[in-house]
Amino acid sequence: MAETLLEVRGLSVFHGRVQAVENAGFTVASGDVVALLGANGAGKSSLLGALMGLVRGSHGEIRFAGQAIERLPARRRSRLGIGYVPEGRRVFPGMTAEENLLVASRDNADARAARLAEMYELFPRLGERRDAAAWQLSGGEQQMLAIARALMPRPRLLLVDEPTLGLSPALAAVVTGVLRDIAADGAAVLLAEQNARAAQAACDRALLMRLGSLVGEGTPQELEADERLTTVMMGG
Amino acid sequence: MTRIGQFRAWLGRDVNALLLAGALLLAAWPFFQGDPYSLRLLTLSGIYALAAIGYQFVFGHAGALSLAQGTFFGLGAYAAGILSVKAGLGFELTFPAAMAAAGLLAVIVALPVLRLESHYFALATLGVGQVVLLVAVNWESVTGGANGIAGVAKVSLFGLTVERGWPLMLLVWGLAGLGAWGARHFTGGMAGPKFALMREQPMAAEACGIDIRRLRFTAFLMSALYGGAAGALQVHTVRVVSPEVLEFPIMVSLLAITVIGGRTSIAGAILGAVLLVHLPEWFRPLEKYYLMSYGAALLATILVAPWGLMGALRMARQRWLPEPALPLPAPLPLSISATQDTLEIQRLVRHFGGVRAVDGIDLTVASGEALGIVGANGSGKSTLINLIAGAEKPDAGSIHWADGRIDGMPPAAIAQAGIARTFQSLKLVDAMSVLDNVSAGDRMGVDRRSAHGKAVELLGQLGLADVAWLPCGSLPPGLRRRAELARALIAGPSLLLLDEPAAGLTGEERVSLADTLSRLNRDGMTLAVVEHDLDFLTRFASRLVCLDGGRIIADGSPELVRDDPAVIAAWLGSPPVEACDG
Amino acid sequence: MELLQLVINGIALGAGYALVALGFVLVLNATSAVNFAQGDLVVAGGFMGVALAGLAPLPGIALLPFAMILMAAVGLIVSVLAYWPLRDRPPVSVFISTIALGIIIQNGLNGIFGAEPRVAPAMFGTGRFEFGGLALSHQSLAIMLVAALLIGGVHLLLGRTQLGRMLRATAQDSDIAAALGIPVGAMVALTFALAAALAGAAGLLLANQFFVTPADGGNFIVKAYIAVVIGGWGRIGGALAGAMLVALFETVVAAWFDYAVATGLLYAALLVILFVRPEGLFGEAAGRRA
Repeated sequence: MAETLLEVRGLSVFHGRVQAVENAGFTVASGDVVALLGANGAGKSSLLGALMGLVRGSHGEIRFAGQAIERLPARRRSRLGIGYVPEGRRVFPGMTAEENLLVASRDNADARAARLAEMYELFPRLGERRDAAAWQLSGGEQQMLAIARALMPRPRLLLVDEPTLGLSPALAAVVTGVLRDIAADGAAVLLAEQNARAAQAACDRALLMRLGSLVGEGTPQELEADERLTTVMMGG
Repeated sequence: MTRIGQFRAWLGRDVNALLLAGALLLAAWPFFQGDPYSLRLLTLSGIYALAAIGYQFVFGHAGALSLAQGTFFGLGAYAAGILSVKAGLGFELTFPAAMAAAGLLAVIVALPVLRLESHYFALATLGVGQVVLLVAVNWESVTGGANGIAGVAKVSLFGLTVERGWPLMLLVWGLAGLGAWGARHFTGGMAGPKFALMREQPMAAEACGIDIRRLRFTAFLMSALYGGAAGALQVHTVRVVSPEVLEFPIMVSLLAITVIGGRTSIAGAILGAVLLVHLPEWFRPLEKYYLMSYGAALLATILVAPWGLMGALRMARQRWLPEPALPLPAPLPLSISATQDTLEIQRLVRHFGGVRAVDGIDLTVASGEALGIVGANGSGKSTLINLIAGAEKPDAGSIHWADGRIDGMPPAAIAQAGIARTFQSLKLVDAMSVLDNVSAGDRMGVDRRSAHGKAVELLGQLGLADVAWLPCGSLPPGLRRRAELARALIAGPSLLLLDEPAAGLTGEERVSLADTLSRLNRDGMTLAVVEHDLDFLTRFASRLVCLDGGRIIADGSPELVRDDPAVIAAWLGSPPVEACDG
Repeated sequence: MELLQLVINGIALGAGYALVALGFVLVLNATSAVNFAQGDLVVAGGFMGVALAGLAPLPGIALLPFAMILMAAVGLIVSVLAYWPLRDRPPVSVFISTIALGIIIQNGLNGIFGAEPRVAPAMFGTGRFEFGGLALSHQSLAIMLVAALLIGGVHLLLGRTQLGRMLRATAQDSDIAAALGIPVGAMVALTFALAAALAGAAGLLLANQFFVTPADGGNFIVKAYIAVVIGGWGRIGGALAGAMLVALFETVVAAWFDYAVATGLLYAALLVILFVRPEGLFGEAAGRRA
């Protein structure tokens, strides 16, 4: 069993008076892809945002590599090794693809160039489009860019929010494949998905989320025939 | 009610805040001692208060940062001054003429300026002011150029001169009081909640059938009329008019008064005017730096008390003197429109960039139906609702409602045709009471009292009567959903569109909302509800359609749709297909 | 020939306006807020030059770096006082807080220096080049050169350096920038410092030929505002072009009629542009908020 990288205990998230996440607890180990499955509005994005430190009004314990991080701002969490791929990609629209990648780097110029080359190897399409403004990229290209941008500083944990939304099945396969590769290299991936089938193809283990609470978990094989998956995905 | 309770209730109402400000003013009276200079300052305070009350219409209520209020003020001063000196007219004519001049300018510039948003509006109004200033400086034959015009007559009404000192001060404050009464009457009626809704939630205002452009125009015109009136008083008080009245410092003073006093509180405008006019006097010991105190006061207010002194006072009161529950107005029956209208959608298409969010939908919703619209995220459900409600324009296809075609019509017109909606993310005015939030949707309402009556009737039906006076922002999500529902219902629609009404609700809240919708439907309301939660929908829907990729993939009874393999596949998503070459 | 001379004069003025507008639009992009004190910062820069020249009678070019550094410090103060506490409020709050700060700056300068027009030292000295009936004063040339250098420098900073990319990332999506480990607060403060330094440079440059009084700030902010609106809200290149257009319009039309008519027509033109093309002559920044 690989070491536990992320440990969450009693995490709740409030948006004003709306409780988006209630008392969530789980762990993610290095080298694992863990999927967070639930319907729209189940609280997946709020949970990832709270882990990244972008959502106010979250309470509870978050330990990353043994360190308590729940009070740290997003910038510090990023520097500890957490990467974030937001829902809707949110690439920097007015910058080129290459600038989007460079800005995420914390290396010196040489190491930066080397890391950039690795990213272009991972996503050849981005290499071809490196000088295009990010807002001109297609949805799939933007998704790759958002993932590559998060990977630039070599995070140990990658939080990925709805990466296959709006992508063709072929592109979704590319994206899930990349997430598997990242985990194979030793990083952990926590993946929020509404597309249960796509997530099942990518993950080692899935957490089921409904109305802000984690209601179950299992391996893809276990969930294949599980009633709860259908219930979670069809319930609000 | 106890004596203290009575006192609290008395303090609780805005009109008493006005009295409080007046009392404060009187308390400061010993400092004035009735000498001519103090009376003059007090007179000027009244003039600025009037201009600031006017400014609150556009800046406070309509929420538009106009930088033209100083211009309306200056234009009024010029109009009255010129008519007084060159035509020898008395105040009874120069005063309305000044208001007319400012109003006329507002009407002329409204067309290009009013449709602009935020910063553009601010700059455009600033530009209007600069043009007027340049005209005043350069049209020497009429305006006296840079020197202006001296020798403006004292205020004289039908030949009767109002002397400086006490008489003029009382006249000015009398007119300011009249202006305050008028403003209170106007915003205390239906305009108040409508303004708030338009300012905080413009989309919701349109969906309630409120004509935003007309309301903004009204606010702009009112502010001009008040500004012009104040300008006329100013010119007859100081008795000269020069380009200074049109320059930016006057505008800044009015802005500062409104921000410091409170953006929508009349008492705040009065308090702010008295303070700001006297502030430089109190800081005289600073000598040449005393004007910095203006900036410092404005900065300090915006930092610590963003809603001004009256806002801070109100918050302190809510904290230390919580209001006892006010009695609810008597409920009034609602007008129910029992129409037999049908919604007919044909080959509807809407793209966003390359994505076809709605890709050729044909759908008929019969009168009295309770239709549930389901589908995964991105399947086009919300877009469909937005297209019906007019928030989006279709690229192709048509929507017919009753006997007319409604696609492409503005949301307000569609609301007026009897189609009401709610929003996925609640669009309520958090700081306003539930009662006023619901009343804002009463577009036919003539006065707030009857709107409150209808609102109380609805709140009773929806189980919100206990929280009627509480601000919406303080309620849990379930109750806020109901408040939004009540707002949609108050105008008596025949078709109700609900966009994810169960989002953010707990399990129990969902059941109870479903029961409410079921009851509404039994009473004859046609429903079209976009929702993700099938359990929720099955409780009241008579028919479900499932969307995927902007098309309808299933249509029928809830049981049928629920077990449709295509529907289940759409819900769980499609497994990724391995691409040929990665 | 006369027109050509006017165009030359207009370009010199436009170069100064361009620096002001550049600072305005950088803050706008970084914070979505209008920094209304930008005009008063220009004036402060002019007086900074006057004061520095009183301490050390050097040519303007030697004082420029000091003035810009001091003004950058003022810019930091502006961000701390008028932006940082209001960063989560609607943008109109910053509009008002910077108006307030502008009043403080203006009246402070009025207290220190008085209301009379003052002159800042020339960049290199007085004199003019003449060729073919056209005259170009040394100062006008200096304004063009210095402005070109500064604008070029900002362009390189933003486009070619990691710091510049971080500034732009912060301006485009500050949450995501923070999630990438970028110190967002420092980036915004730095943007204010940069904007104030540019305003200060413009003030020092323009306060030689055109004098400076404490009340001039309103004029500068309005010109910058117009430049940014006609150039397309949020577009840096558009703002620079807009500044040039404003200055040329002002200079050329003022020569035909007079200054007042030129300014009046400028505003009239602005209203027409806002009515016909609310997105500016060159369109709003593409995808800026996409």
